[in-house]
Amino acid sequence: MPDNWGFVLAAYAIGALVLGGYWRRLRRRERQARQRPAIRRAPARPALSTHPRPDPGARP
Amino acid sequence: MLGWLTVTGLAAGLIMGLGVAPREVTQGNVQRIMYVHVPAAWVAYLAFGVVLVASIVYLATRARAADRLAHASAEAGVVFTGLAIVAGSIWGKPTWGTWWTWDARLTTTAILFVIYLGYLLLRGMVDDPDRAARYAAVVGIIGALDIPLVHFSVLWWRTLHQPPSVGRPQASAMDPIILTTLLVNVAAFTLLYLYFVVRGARILRRQEEAVA
Repeated sequence: MPDNWGFVLAAYAIGALVLGGYWRRLRRRERQARQRPAIRRAPARPALSTHPRPDPGARP
Repeated sequence: MLGWLTVTGLAAGLIMGLGVAPREVTQGNVQRIMYVHVPAAWVAYLAFGVVLVASIVYLATRARAADRLAHASAEAGVVFTGLAIVAGSIWGKPTWGTWWTWDARLTTTAILFVIYLGYLLLRGMVDDPDRAARYAAVVGIIGALDIPLVHFSVLWWRTLHQPPSVGRPQASAMDPIILTTLLVNVAAFTLLYLYFVVRGARILRRQEEAVA
């Protein structure tokens, strides 16, 4: 059987590209996560089932 | 520490795979692809097994750490499964005469890859993090049912893919140097998987803290 070194090197090169590419992607995401300022979620407000009624005491 | 151990392991695996291990008698040098293909497939099993356990733990306890572990492991698992498929395809061309065939092992592996790719897409599509984690955990558990199908497909059906050479009592004895090279590469890929998961889970925790 021929040695097919081309196939061997192709498999190893793709392995290096895939694993190296994922490692670089993780590094980039880690840098972004570190730089991103904390975004605080707004506290949940209770949902209104009807239109708010005006306070009768506040009428002139 | 883990990073350096991984780099050392990968370097040792590369040197052994391309230089130290002897040329295989029947397949020639193309058999050296095994040192990439088999460790990648093993790590894929491990990664999706971790997704299964972490998903069960998340559904039982709602612990965010379990969800982050499942998420990071699924991501790494998809990467290693993709690599196992591509390396196997490159190995298949000179040995089987084709890049791809709808053989039981190849088909079940492709299904595994698509299931967990769907798992990652699902997580990205649901806005509510708790709901996304719950849905993903269910997919992570159901998807793991494919792992035994992948592994035993070569024994249950007639396939072009060879049966496992390691861990089977009736398997032919492997040259000790070839076996050692394979085990060194399996160890190195496992370390790389651990490194990816630790880093991935840390990133996910930071992202959660940023929007909390």
